Amino acid sequence: MLEVRNLCKHYGGIKAVDGASFTVEKGTITALIGPNGAGKTTAFNCISRTVAPTSGEVWLDGERIDHLRPHKVTTRGLSRTLQISRNLSDMTVIENVIVQSRVDGLRGLFRPAIGAEEKDKAMSILEFLGITRIAYEDGHNLSYGQKKLMDLAALLMSDPKIILLDEPAGGVNPSLMEEIVSHIRALNEKGLTVLIVEHNMDLIMRLSHKVVVMAQGRVICSATPEVVRRDPQVLEAYLGGVLEEEAA
Amino acid sequence: MSVSLQQSSASAVLEARRAHNDKLARKADQARAVWFPLTLLALLSLLPLLQLSGNYNYVLHIVLFTASYVAMASSWNILGGFTGYVSLGHAVFFAIGGYFSGMILARFGISTIVTAPVAGLVAAIAGYLIGRITLNVRGPSFIISSIALLMIARILFDNWAFIGGANGVTLPVNSLSAQWAKVPYYYAMLAIAAVTVWVSYRIKHSKFGLGLRAISKDEVKAESAGIDTRFYKVLAFALSAFFVGMTGAVWGEYLTYLRPNIFLIILVSANLVLMCILGGKGTIAGPVIGAILIVALNELFVATMGASELNILGTGLVMALGLIFFPLGLVGTLARRGKLPRVLNWD
Repeated sequence: MLEVRNLCKHYGGIKAVDGASFTVEKGTITALIGPNGAGKTTAFNCISRTVAPTSGEVWLDGERIDHLRPHKVTTRGLSRTLQISRNLSDMTVIENVIVQSRVDGLRGLFRPAIGAEEKDKAMSILEFLGITRIAYEDGHNLSYGQKKLMDLAALLMSDPKIILLDEPAGGVNPSLMEEIVSHIRALNEKGLTVLIVEHNMDLIMRLSHKVVVMAQGRVICSATPEVVRRDPQVLEAYLGGVLEEEAA
Repeated sequence: MSVSLQQSSASAVLEARRAHNDKLARKADQARAVWFPLTLLALLSLLPLLQLSGNYNYVLHIVLFTASYVAMASSWNILGGFTGYVSLGHAVFFAIGGYFSGMILARFGISTIVTAPVAGLVAAIAGYLIGRITLNVRGPSFIISSIALLMIARILFDNWAFIGGANGVTLPVNSLSAQWAKVPYYYAMLAIAAVTVWVSYRIKHSKFGLGLRAISKDEVKAESAGIDTRFYKVLAFALSAFFVGMTGAVWGEYLTYLRPNIFLIILVSANLVLMCILGGKGTIAGPVIGAILIVALNELFVATMGASELNILGTGLVMALGLIFFPLGLVGTLARRGKLPRVLNWD
Protein backbone atom coordinates (compact mmCIF):
# COMPACT_ATOMS: atom_id res chain seq x y z
CA MET A 1 0.00 0.00 0.00
CA LEU A 2 2.66 2.47 1.05
CA GLU A 3 6.15 1.96 -0.25
CA VAL A 4 9.15 4.05 0.70
CA ARG A 5 12.20 3.61 -1.53
CA ASN A 6 15.62 4.88 -0.64
CA LEU A 7 14.30 7.99 1.10
CA CYS A 8 16.92 10.63 2.00
CA LYS A 9 16.60 13.90 3.82
CA HIS A 10 19.74 15.92 4.43
CA TYR A 11 19.92 19.10 6.45
CA GLY A 12 23.24 20.55 5.36
CA GLY A 13 25.74 17.90 6.39
CA ILE A 14 23.35 16.12 8.70
CA LYS A 15 21.73 13.09 7.17
CA ALA A 16 18.49 12.84 9.14
CA VAL A 17 17.14 10.12 6.87
CA ASP A 18 19.77 8.35 4.84
CA GLY A 19 18.37 5.87 2.37
CA ALA A 20 15.44 4.38 4.26
CA SER A 21 13.28 1.81 2.48
CA PHE A 22 10.26 -0.01 3.85
CA THR A 23 6.73 -0.97 2.95
CA VAL A 24 3.42 -0.88 4.76
CA GLU A 25 1.03 -3.62 3.67
CA LYS A 26 -2.68 -2.93 3.25
CA GLY A 27 -4.75 -3.52 6.35
CA THR A 28 -1.86 -3.80 8.77
CA ILE A 29 -0.59 -1.77 11.68
CA THR A 30 3.07 -1.04 11.06
CA ALA A 31 5.22 0.60 13.70
CA LEU A 32 8.25 2.74 13.07
CA ILE A 33 10.61 2.70 16.04
CA GLY A 34 14.17 3.62 16.80
CA PRO A 35 16.31 5.52 19.30
CA ASN A 36 16.11 9.30 19.54
CA GLY A 37 17.37 11.01 16.43
CA ALA A 38 16.92 7.94 14.29
CA GLY A 39 14.97 9.97 11.74
CA LYS A 40 11.50 8.58 12.38
CA THR A 41 9.67 11.87 12.47
CA THR A 42 11.70 13.21 9.55
CA ALA A 43 10.75 10.13 7.56
CA PHE A 44 7.12 10.78 8.51
CA ASN A 45 7.40 14.38 7.41
CA CYS A 46 8.88 13.31 4.08
CA ILE A 47 6.14 10.74 3.48
CA SER A 48 3.36 13.23 4.18
CA ARG A 49 5.41 15.80 2.27
CA THR A 50 5.38 18.29 5.17
CA VAL A 51 9.07 18.60 4.27
CA ALA A 52 10.48 17.83 0.84
CA PRO A 53 12.74 14.76 0.74
CA THR A 54 16.24 15.26 -0.68
CA SER A 55 15.90 12.14 -2.78
CA GLY A 56 14.03 8.88 -2.86
CA GLU A 57 10.52 7.86 -3.75
CA VAL A 58 7.25 7.39 -1.89
CA TRP A 59 4.50 5.35 -3.53
CA LEU A 60 0.92 5.15 -2.35
CA ASP A 61 -1.28 2.54 -4.05
CA GLY A 62 0.86 2.55 -7.17
CA GLU A 63 1.02 6.35 -7.38
CA ARG A 64 4.16 8.31 -6.68
CA ILE A 65 3.38 10.98 -4.09
CA ASP A 66 6.72 12.45 -3.05
CA HIS A 67 6.48 15.39 -5.45
CA LEU A 68 2.92 16.38 -4.49
CA ARG A 69 2.05 19.34 -2.26
CA PRO A 70 1.04 18.27 1.29
CA HIS A 71 -2.69 18.90 0.88
CA LYS A 72 -2.68 16.76 -2.26
CA VAL A 73 -1.15 13.90 -0.27
CA THR A 74 -4.01 14.23 2.19
CA THR A 75 -6.63 14.15 -0.55
CA ARG A 76 -4.93 11.05 -2.05
CA GLY A 77 -5.86 9.26 1.18
CA LEU A 78 -2.86 9.64 3.42
CA SER A 79 -3.52 11.63 6.60
CA ARG A 80 -1.22 12.26 9.50
CA THR A 81 -1.17 13.67 12.99
CA LEU A 82 1.58 15.95 14.15
CA GLN A 83 3.86 14.93 17.00
CA ILE A 84 2.94 17.81 19.25
CA SER A 85 -0.79 18.15 19.09
CA ARG A 86 -1.17 21.41 17.26
CA ASN A 87 -4.84 22.09 17.43
CA LEU A 88 -6.49 25.18 16.08
CA SER A 89 -7.48 27.29 19.05
CA ASP A 90 -10.38 29.73 18.76
CA MET A 91 -12.12 27.03 16.79
CA THR A 92 -14.49 24.52 18.34
CA VAL A 93 -13.72 20.81 18.28
CA ILE A 94 -16.31 20.18 15.61
CA GLU A 95 -14.79 22.92 13.45
CA ASN A 96 -11.36 21.42 14.00
CA VAL A 97 -12.70 18.12 12.75
CA ILE A 98 -14.75 19.43 9.84
CA VAL A 99 -11.88 21.57 8.56
CA GLN A 100 -10.31 18.28 7.49
CA SER A 101 -13.18 17.27 5.24
CA ARG A 102 -12.65 17.36 1.53
CA VAL A 103 -13.55 20.49 -0.43
CA ASP A 104 -14.13 20.10 -4.15
CA GLY A 105 -13.73 22.90 -6.62
CA LEU A 106 -14.43 26.60 -6.38
CA ARG A 107 -18.12 26.12 -5.68
CA GLY A 108 -17.29 23.79 -2.84
CA LEU A 109 -15.28 26.58 -1.27
CA PHE A 110 -18.33 28.74 -0.77
CA ARG A 111 -20.64 26.11 0.62
CA PRO A 112 -21.62 26.57 4.27
CA ALA A 113 -18.70 25.79 6.58
CA ILE A 114 -20.57 23.10 8.46
CA GLY A 115 -22.99 21.23 6.24
CA ALA A 116 -25.66 19.00 7.78
CA GLU A 117 -24.18 15.84 6.28
CA GLU A 118 -20.67 16.69 7.46
CA LYS A 119 -21.96 17.54 10.88
CA ASP A 120 -23.58 14.13 11.19
CA LYS A 121 -20.40 12.47 10.01
CA ALA A 122 -18.24 14.48 12.42
CA MET A 123 -20.58 13.73 15.29
CA SER A 124 -20.55 10.01 14.52
CA ILE A 125 -16.74 10.08 14.54
CA LEU A 126 -16.74 11.95 17.85
CA GLU A 127 -19.22 9.42 19.16
CA PHE A 128 -16.99 6.56 18.05
CA LEU A 129 -14.12 8.15 19.99
CA GLY A 130 -16.41 8.95 22.91
CA ILE A 131 -15.90 12.72 22.90
CA THR A 132 -19.23 14.11 21.72
CA ARG A 133 -19.53 16.03 24.97
CA ILE A 134 -16.72 18.38 23.93
CA ALA A 135 -18.00 18.94 20.38
CA TYR A 136 -18.68 22.64 20.95
CA GLU A 137 -15.79 23.21 23.31
CA ASP A 138 -13.17 25.69 22.20
CA GLY A 139 -9.92 24.11 20.98
CA HIS A 140 -7.76 25.76 23.63
CA ASN A 141 -9.87 24.51 26.56
CA LEU A 142 -9.01 20.88 25.89
CA SER A 143 -6.77 18.65 27.94
CA TYR A 144 -3.75 17.11 26.27
CA GLY A 145 -5.44 13.74 25.91
CA GLN A 146 -8.60 15.28 24.47
CA LYS A 147 -6.46 17.03 21.89
CA LYS A 148 -4.97 13.70 20.87
CA LEU A 149 -8.44 12.25 20.43
CA MET A 150 -9.54 15.32 18.52
CA ASP A 151 -6.54 14.92 16.19
CA LEU A 152 -7.57 11.35 15.56
CA ALA A 153 -11.15 12.43 14.88
CA ALA A 154 -9.92 15.05 12.41
CA LEU A 155 -7.89 12.41 10.56
CA LEU A 156 -10.90 10.20 10.10
CA MET A 157 -12.92 13.06 8.64
CA SER A 158 -10.87 13.01 5.44
CA ASP A 159 -11.73 9.33 4.71
CA PRO A 160 -8.10 8.24 4.62
CA LYS A 161 -6.84 4.93 3.29
CA ILE A 162 -3.79 5.08 5.52
CA ILE A 163 -3.15 7.13 8.64
CA LEU A 164 0.22 8.14 10.03
CA LEU A 165 0.21 8.61 13.78
CA ASP A 166 3.15 10.42 15.33
CA GLU A 167 3.37 9.39 18.98
CA PRO A 168 -0.37 9.01 19.58
CA ALA A 169 0.25 7.99 23.19
CA GLY A 170 3.00 10.50 23.97
CA GLY A 171 2.33 12.27 27.24
CA VAL A 172 -1.10 10.79 27.93
CA ASN A 173 -2.08 8.86 31.03
CA PRO A 174 -2.19 5.03 31.00
CA SER A 175 -5.97 4.68 30.96
CA LEU A 176 -6.33 7.05 28.03
CA MET A 177 -3.50 5.19 26.32
CA GLU A 178 -5.56 2.02 26.57
CA GLU A 179 -8.48 3.88 25.06
CA ILE A 180 -6.35 5.10 22.16
CA VAL A 181 -4.96 1.60 21.61
CA SER A 182 -8.43 0.13 21.41
CA HIS A 183 -9.54 2.88 19.00
CA ILE A 184 -6.58 2.22 16.73
CA ARG A 185 -7.25 -1.50 16.82
CA ALA A 186 -10.94 -0.99 16.04
CA LEU A 187 -10.11 1.27 13.12
CA ASN A 188 -7.63 -1.26 11.80
CA GLU A 189 -10.26 -3.97 12.01
CA LYS A 190 -12.49 -1.79 9.82
CA GLY A 191 -9.75 -1.99 7.19
CA LEU A 192 -7.73 1.15 7.83
CA THR A 193 -3.98 0.84 7.33
CA VAL A 194 -1.92 2.42 10.11
CA LEU A 195 1.69 3.56 10.30
CA ILE A 196 2.67 4.61 13.79
CA VAL A 197 5.72 6.18 15.43
CA GLU A 198 5.86 5.49 19.12
CA HIS A 199 8.32 5.26 22.00
CA ASN A 200 6.16 3.09 24.19
CA MET A 201 7.52 -0.41 23.43
CA ASP A 202 4.76 -2.17 25.30
CA LEU A 203 2.16 -0.49 23.10
CA ILE A 204 4.13 -1.26 19.93
CA MET A 205 4.58 -4.92 20.75
CA ARG A 206 0.90 -5.38 21.52
CA LEU A 207 -0.51 -3.41 18.66
CA SER A 208 1.59 -3.84 15.57
CA HIS A 209 1.78 -6.57 12.96
CA LYS A 210 5.14 -5.41 11.70
CA VAL A 211 7.89 -3.29 13.18
CA VAL A 212 10.36 -1.22 11.19
CA VAL A 213 13.41 -0.22 13.19
CA MET A 214 15.38 2.84 12.19
CA ALA A 215 18.77 3.95 13.45
CA GLN A 216 20.87 6.81 12.13
CA GLY A 217 18.51 7.44 9.28
CA ARG A 218 18.58 3.87 7.99
CA VAL A 219 16.24 0.91 8.37
CA ILE A 220 18.15 -1.77 10.25
CA CYS A 221 15.41 -4.31 10.71
CA SER A 222 11.90 -4.92 9.48
CA ALA A 223 9.99 -7.90 10.87
CA THR A 224 7.28 -9.06 13.27
CA PRO A 225 7.46 -7.76 16.85
CA GLU A 226 8.65 -11.16 18.15
CA VAL A 227 11.58 -11.23 15.77
CA VAL A 228 12.51 -7.59 16.30
CA ARG A 229 12.58 -8.07 20.05
CA ARG A 230 15.37 -10.63 19.73
CA ASP A 231 17.32 -9.06 16.87
CA PRO A 232 20.89 -8.35 17.98
CA GLN A 233 21.25 -5.35 15.68
CA VAL A 234 18.18 -3.71 17.19
CA LEU A 235 19.40 -4.31 20.72
CA GLU A 236 22.75 -2.84 19.81
CA ALA A 237 21.13 0.26 18.32
CA TYR A 238 19.12 0.81 21.47
CA LEU A 239 21.94 0.04 23.85
CA GLY A 240 24.48 2.29 22.20
CA GLY A 241 26.27 -0.07 19.85
CA VAL A 242 25.88 2.54 17.17
CA LEU A 243 27.95 4.98 19.16
CA GLU A 244 30.88 2.56 19.25
CA GLU A 245 30.57 2.12 15.53
CA GLU A 246 30.78 5.86 15.13
CA ALA A 247 33.89 6.11 17.27
CA ALA A 248 35.65 3.40 15.31
CA MET B 1 -32.87 -8.18 30.57
CA SER B 2 -30.43 -6.00 32.37
CA VAL B 3 -28.28 -5.82 29.26
CA SER B 4 -31.12 -4.41 27.17
CA LEU B 5 -31.90 -1.94 29.94
CA GLN B 6 -28.33 -0.73 29.92
CA GLN B 7 -28.43 -0.27 26.18
CA SER B 8 -31.58 1.78 26.23
CA SER B 9 -30.25 4.03 28.96
CA ALA B 10 -27.03 4.45 27.01
CA SER B 11 -28.94 5.53 23.91
CA ALA B 12 -31.00 7.87 26.10
CA VAL B 13 -27.74 9.48 27.23
CA LEU B 14 -26.62 9.82 23.62
CA GLU B 15 -29.98 11.28 22.70
CA ALA B 16 -29.77 13.82 25.50
CA ARG B 17 -26.25 14.71 24.48
CA ARG B 18 -27.29 15.22 20.88
CA ALA B 19 -30.15 17.43 21.98
CA HIS B 20 -27.72 19.42 24.12
CA ASN B 21 -25.30 19.89 21.23
CA ASP B 22 -28.10 20.95 18.92
CA LYS B 23 -29.17 23.48 21.49
CA LEU B 24 -25.64 24.90 21.66
CA ALA B 25 -25.48 25.13 17.88
CA ARG B 26 -28.85 26.86 17.74
CA LYS B 27 -27.89 29.27 20.50
CA ALA B 28 -24.99 30.58 18.44
CA ASP B 29 -27.40 31.15 15.56
CA GLN B 30 -30.04 32.89 17.59
CA ALA B 31 -27.65 35.30 19.27
CA ARG B 32 -26.95 36.88 15.91
CA ALA B 33 -28.68 40.18 15.14
CA VAL B 34 -28.73 40.43 11.36
CA TRP B 35 -31.71 42.78 11.51
CA PHE B 36 -29.56 45.54 12.99
CA PRO B 37 -27.17 46.17 10.09
CA LEU B 38 -30.08 45.79 7.67
CA THR B 39 -32.12 48.40 9.54
CA LEU B 40 -29.08 50.68 9.66
CA LEU B 41 -28.67 50.28 5.92
CA ALA B 42 -32.34 51.07 5.28
CA LEU B 43 -32.14 54.21 7.43
CA LEU B 44 -28.96 55.39 5.75
CA SER B 45 -30.46 54.89 2.31
CA LEU B 46 -33.26 57.28 3.30
CA LEU B 47 -30.79 59.89 4.57
CA PRO B 48 -30.43 61.84 1.27
CA LEU B 49 -34.11 62.80 1.63
CA LEU B 50 -32.83 65.34 4.16
CA GLN B 51 -31.59 67.35 1.19
CA LEU B 52 -35.21 68.24 0.40
CA SER B 53 -35.42 70.24 3.60
CA GLY B 54 -32.05 71.97 3.60
CA ASN B 55 -28.36 71.48 2.95
CA TYR B 56 -26.99 68.45 4.72
CA ASN B 57 -23.98 67.91 2.48
CA TYR B 58 -21.68 67.59 5.50
CA VAL B 59 -23.73 64.72 6.93
CA LEU B 60 -23.77 62.97 3.57
CA HIS B 61 -20.03 63.45 3.22
CA ILE B 62 -19.32 61.98 6.63
CA VAL B 63 -21.53 58.94 6.02
CA LEU B 64 -20.01 58.45 2.56
CA PHE B 65 -16.50 58.77 3.96
CA THR B 66 -17.31 56.29 6.74
CA ALA B 67 -18.90 53.89 4.27
CA SER B 68 -15.76 53.96 2.14
CA TYR B 69 -13.71 53.00 5.16
CA VAL B 70 -16.26 50.36 6.24
CA ALA B 71 -15.91 48.77 2.80
CA MET B 72 -12.11 48.92 2.82
CA ALA B 73 -11.69 47.78 6.44
CA SER B 74 -14.09 44.85 5.93
CA SER B 75 -12.23 43.97 2.78
CA TRP B 76 -8.86 44.17 4.53
CA ASN B 77 -10.35 41.96 7.24
CA ILE B 78 -10.68 39.08 4.77
CA LEU B 79 -6.90 38.91 4.52
CA GLY B 80 -5.74 40.49 7.78
CA GLY B 81 -8.47 39.26 10.09
CA PHE B 82 -9.52 35.84 8.80
CA THR B 83 -6.21 34.74 7.30
CA GLY B 84 -3.85 36.51 9.69
CA TYR B 85 -1.73 38.25 7.07
CA VAL B 86 -1.39 41.92 8.04
CA SER B 87 -0.99 44.02 4.91
CA LEU B 88 0.08 47.67 4.97
CA GLY B 89 -0.02 47.84 1.19
CA HIS B 90 -3.75 47.94 0.55
CA ALA B 91 -3.53 51.59 -0.49
CA VAL B 92 -2.03 50.23 -3.72
CA PHE B 93 -5.32 48.56 -4.65
CA PHE B 94 -7.17 51.73 -3.65
CA ALA B 95 -4.97 53.59 -6.15
CA ILE B 96 -5.27 50.93 -8.86
CA GLY B 97 -9.06 51.06 -8.63
CA GLY B 98 -9.12 54.86 -8.49
CA TYR B 99 -6.78 55.35 -11.43
CA PHE B 100 -8.30 52.65 -13.61
CA SER B 101 -11.82 53.99 -13.41
CA GLY B 102 -10.62 57.60 -13.21
CA MET B 103 -8.67 57.34 -16.46
CA ILE B 104 -11.67 55.81 -18.20
CA LEU B 105 -13.78 58.68 -16.91
CA ALA B 106 -11.22 61.26 -18.05
CA ARG B 107 -10.83 59.75 -21.55
CA PHE B 108 -14.27 58.35 -22.36
CA GLY B 109 -16.56 60.06 -19.88
CA ILE B 110 -17.96 56.83 -18.41
CA SER B 111 -18.86 57.29 -14.75
CA THR B 112 -16.70 55.36 -12.27
CA ILE B 113 -19.86 54.07 -10.62
CA VAL B 114 -20.42 52.00 -13.76
CA THR B 115 -16.83 50.86 -14.13
CA ALA B 116 -16.17 50.24 -10.41
CA PRO B 117 -16.69 46.44 -10.63
CA VAL B 118 -14.16 46.29 -13.48
CA ALA B 119 -11.76 48.41 -11.43
CA GLY B 120 -12.26 45.94 -8.58
CA LEU B 121 -11.44 43.10 -10.93
CA VAL B 122 -8.25 44.82 -12.08
CA ALA B 123 -7.25 45.36 -8.45
CA ALA B 124 -8.06 41.71 -7.71
CA ILE B 125 -5.89 40.49 -10.57
CA ALA B 126 -3.07 42.71 -9.33
CA GLY B 127 -3.68 41.31 -5.84
CA TYR B 128 -3.59 37.76 -7.17
CA LEU B 129 -0.27 38.29 -8.95
CA ILE B 130 1.31 40.15 -6.04
CA GLY B 131 -0.02 37.58 -3.60
CA ARG B 132 1.59 34.76 -5.54
CA ILE B 133 4.93 36.37 -4.72
CA THR B 134 4.55 37.96 -1.28
CA LEU B 135 2.32 35.40 0.44
CA ASN B 136 5.20 32.94 0.60
CA VAL B 137 6.44 34.70 3.70
CA ARG B 138 4.43 35.41 6.81
CA GLY B 139 4.58 37.52 9.95
CA PRO B 140 6.87 40.57 9.97
CA SER B 141 8.36 39.65 6.59
CA PHE B 142 4.96 39.84 4.96
CA ILE B 143 4.27 43.25 6.53
CA ILE B 144 7.59 44.58 5.22
CA SER B 145 6.85 43.17 1.77
CA SER B 146 3.51 44.97 1.74
CA ILE B 147 5.16 48.29 2.68
CA ALA B 148 7.68 47.71 -0.10
CA LEU B 149 4.80 47.18 -2.50
CA LEU B 150 3.38 50.55 -1.50
CA MET B 151 6.73 52.29 -2.05
CA ILE B 152 7.28 50.68 -5.43
CA ALA B 153 3.77 51.65 -6.53
CA ARG B 154 4.33 55.22 -5.36
CA ILE B 155 7.50 55.58 -7.42
CA LEU B 156 5.73 54.04 -10.41
CA PHE B 157 2.66 56.29 -10.20
CA ASP B 158 4.74 59.41 -9.49
CA ASN B 159 6.72 58.93 -12.70
CA TRP B 160 4.14 57.53 -15.09
CA ALA B 161 3.36 60.42 -17.45
CA PHE B 162 0.29 58.73 -18.98
CA ILE B 163 -1.58 58.99 -15.70
CA GLY B 164 -0.30 62.45 -14.88
CA GLY B 165 2.70 61.56 -12.73
CA ALA B 166 2.97 63.28 -9.38
CA ASN B 167 0.62 66.08 -10.51
CA GLY B 168 -2.21 63.62 -11.04
CA VAL B 169 -5.29 64.03 -13.19
CA THR B 170 -8.29 66.27 -12.82
CA LEU B 171 -11.58 64.52 -13.46
CA PRO B 172 -14.74 66.10 -14.88
CA VAL B 173 -17.33 67.23 -12.35
CA ASN B 174 -20.83 65.84 -12.74
CA SER B 175 -23.61 68.10 -13.94
CA LEU B 176 -25.81 67.91 -10.82
CA SER B 177 -26.43 70.92 -8.60
CA ALA B 178 -24.35 71.28 -5.44
CA GLN B 179 -27.35 70.12 -3.45
CA TRP B 180 -27.52 66.72 -5.19
CA ALA B 181 -23.97 66.25 -6.51
CA LYS B 182 -22.93 63.93 -3.69
CA VAL B 183 -25.97 61.67 -3.80
CA PRO B 184 -24.92 59.23 -6.59
CA TYR B 185 -21.58 58.61 -4.87
CA TYR B 186 -23.33 58.31 -1.55
CA TYR B 187 -25.49 55.46 -2.80
CA ALA B 188 -22.63 53.82 -4.67
CA MET B 189 -20.40 53.84 -1.61
CA LEU B 190 -23.21 52.63 0.66
CA ALA B 191 -23.88 49.75 -1.74
CA ILE B 192 -20.19 48.83 -1.92
CA ALA B 193 -19.94 48.87 1.88
CA ALA B 194 -23.07 46.73 2.28
CA VAL B 195 -21.92 44.20 -0.31
CA THR B 196 -18.47 44.00 1.25
CA VAL B 197 -19.84 43.33 4.72
CA TRP B 198 -22.23 40.74 3.29
CA VAL B 199 -19.46 39.02 1.34
CA SER B 200 -17.18 38.93 4.38
CA TYR B 201 -20.06 37.37 6.33
CA ARG B 202 -20.57 34.76 3.63
CA ILE B 203 -16.85 34.01 3.52
CA LYS B 204 -16.64 33.60 7.26
CA HIS B 205 -19.41 31.02 7.18
CA SER B 206 -18.10 29.07 4.22
CA LYS B 207 -15.60 26.25 3.81
CA PHE B 208 -13.24 28.88 2.48
CA GLY B 209 -13.57 30.95 5.66
CA LEU B 210 -13.04 27.92 7.87
CA GLY B 211 -9.90 27.15 5.88
CA LEU B 212 -8.68 30.74 6.23
CA ARG B 213 -9.19 30.60 9.97
CA ALA B 214 -7.22 27.36 10.09
CA ILE B 215 -4.42 29.03 8.12
CA SER B 216 -4.32 31.95 10.54
CA LYS B 217 -3.89 29.55 13.46
CA ASP B 218 -1.42 27.06 12.07
CA GLU B 219 -0.47 26.90 8.44
CA VAL B 220 1.40 23.59 8.59
CA LYS B 221 -1.52 21.92 10.27
CA ALA B 222 -3.96 23.48 7.81
CA GLU B 223 -1.94 22.20 4.88
CA SER B 224 -1.77 18.69 6.31
CA ALA B 225 -5.53 18.85 6.88
CA GLY B 226 -5.87 18.91 3.10
CA ILE B 227 -6.26 22.65 2.61
CA ASP B 228 -4.54 24.14 -0.43
CA THR B 229 -3.08 26.94 1.69
CA ARG B 230 -1.33 28.74 -1.17
CA PHE B 231 -4.50 28.96 -3.23
CA TYR B 232 -6.64 29.96 -0.24
CA LYS B 233 -4.27 32.76 0.72
CA VAL B 234 -3.94 34.15 -2.78
CA LEU B 235 -7.70 34.03 -3.28
CA ALA B 236 -8.20 35.85 0.03
CA PHE B 237 -5.69 38.48 -1.08
CA ALA B 238 -7.45 38.93 -4.44
CA LEU B 239 -10.91 39.22 -2.84
CA SER B 240 -9.59 41.66 -0.31
CA ALA B 241 -8.06 43.76 -3.11
CA PHE B 242 -11.31 43.63 -5.12
CA PHE B 243 -13.45 45.72 -2.78
CA VAL B 244 -10.66 48.15 -1.97
CA GLY B 245 -10.28 48.69 -5.72
CA MET B 246 -14.01 49.33 -6.13
CA THR B 247 -13.96 51.83 -3.30
CA GLY B 248 -11.00 53.60 -4.87
CA ALA B 249 -12.83 53.91 -8.18
CA VAL B 250 -15.83 55.72 -6.72
CA TRP B 251 -13.67 57.75 -4.34
CA GLY B 252 -11.62 59.14 -7.25
CA GLU B 253 -14.62 60.60 -9.05
CA TYR B 254 -16.05 61.87 -5.80
CA LEU B 255 -12.84 63.80 -5.12
CA THR B 256 -12.72 64.91 -8.81
CA TYR B 257 -8.98 64.42 -8.97
CA LEU B 258 -6.43 61.63 -8.73
CA ARG B 259 -3.03 62.18 -7.22
CA PRO B 260 -0.48 59.68 -5.88
CA ASN B 261 -0.06 61.62 -2.64
CA ILE B 262 -3.76 61.11 -1.85
CA PHE B 263 -4.17 57.49 -2.89
CA LEU B 264 -0.74 56.01 -2.29
CA ILE B 265 0.02 56.99 1.26
CA ILE B 266 0.56 54.63 4.13
CA LEU B 267 -2.08 56.51 6.16
CA VAL B 268 -4.85 54.88 4.10
CA SER B 269 -3.45 51.39 4.73
CA ALA B 270 -2.69 52.14 8.36
CA ASN B 271 -6.24 53.38 8.91
CA LEU B 272 -7.62 50.05 7.70
CA VAL B 273 -5.37 48.16 10.10
CA LEU B 274 -6.24 50.45 13.03
CA MET B 275 -9.97 50.19 12.35
CA CYS B 276 -9.86 46.41 12.26
CA ILE B 277 -7.72 46.19 15.37
CA LEU B 278 -9.85 48.67 17.33
CA GLY B 279 -13.13 47.05 16.24
CA GLY B 280 -11.96 43.45 16.38
CA LYS B 281 -10.02 41.57 13.73
CA GLY B 282 -11.72 38.54 12.24
CA THR B 283 -15.24 39.57 13.29
CA ILE B 284 -17.88 40.93 10.91
CA ALA B 285 -18.99 43.90 12.99
CA GLY B 286 -15.45 44.80 14.12
CA PRO B 287 -14.22 46.64 11.02
CA VAL B 288 -17.56 48.46 10.73
CA ILE B 289 -17.47 49.63 14.34
CA GLY B 290 -13.77 50.48 14.03
CA ALA B 291 -14.34 52.58 10.91
CA ILE B 292 -17.25 54.44 12.47
CA LEU B 293 -15.31 55.10 15.68
CA ILE B 294 -12.13 56.32 14.03
CA VAL B 295 -13.90 58.59 11.55
CA ALA B 296 -16.12 59.94 14.31
CA LEU B 297 -13.22 60.52 16.69
CA ASN B 298 -11.20 62.24 13.98
CA GLU B 299 -14.10 64.58 13.23
CA LEU B 300 -14.74 65.24 16.90
CA PHE B 301 -11.14 66.08 17.71
CA VAL B 302 -10.66 68.22 14.61
CA ALA B 303 -13.83 70.13 15.51
CA THR B 304 -12.87 70.65 19.15
CA MET B 305 -9.08 70.95 18.98
CA GLY B 306 -8.62 72.30 15.48
CA ALA B 307 -6.56 70.73 12.75
CA SER B 308 -3.36 70.81 14.76
CA GLU B 309 -1.21 67.99 16.06
CA LEU B 310 -3.49 67.86 19.10
CA ASN B 311 -6.32 66.13 17.27
CA ILE B 312 -3.96 63.35 16.15
CA LEU B 313 -2.80 62.98 19.76
CA GLY B 314 -6.42 62.69 20.87
CA THR B 315 -7.20 59.91 18.39
CA GLY B 316 -3.99 58.11 19.32
CA LEU B 317 -4.81 58.30 23.00
CA VAL B 318 -8.26 56.80 22.49
CA MET B 319 -6.71 54.03 20.36
CA ALA B 320 -4.15 53.21 23.04
CA LEU B 321 -6.74 53.16 25.82
CA GLY B 322 -9.09 51.09 23.70
CA LEU B 323 -6.45 48.47 23.10
CA ILE B 324 -5.38 48.36 26.76
CA PHE B 325 -8.91 47.55 27.86
CA PHE B 326 -10.03 45.68 24.73
CA PRO B 327 -6.97 43.80 23.51
CA LEU B 328 -8.92 41.81 20.91
CA GLY B 329 -10.76 44.89 19.72
CA LEU B 330 -14.16 46.03 20.97
CA VAL B 331 -16.24 43.31 19.35
CA GLY B 332 -13.65 40.56 19.79
CA THR B 333 -13.05 41.25 23.48
CA LEU B 334 -16.72 41.60 24.37
CA ALA B 335 -17.52 38.38 22.50
CA ARG B 336 -14.73 36.55 24.33
CA ARG B 337 -16.11 37.75 27.67
CA GLY B 338 -19.63 36.81 26.62
CA LYS B 339 -20.77 40.42 27.01
CA LEU B 340 -21.29 41.36 23.40
CA PRO B 341 -24.57 43.25 22.97
CA ARG B 342 -26.82 41.40 20.56
CA VAL B 343 -26.97 44.31 18.12
CA LEU B 344 -23.22 43.96 17.53
CA ASN B 345 -23.25 40.21 16.97
CA TRP B 346 -23.35 39.89 13.18
CA ASP B 347 -21.12 36.85 12.95
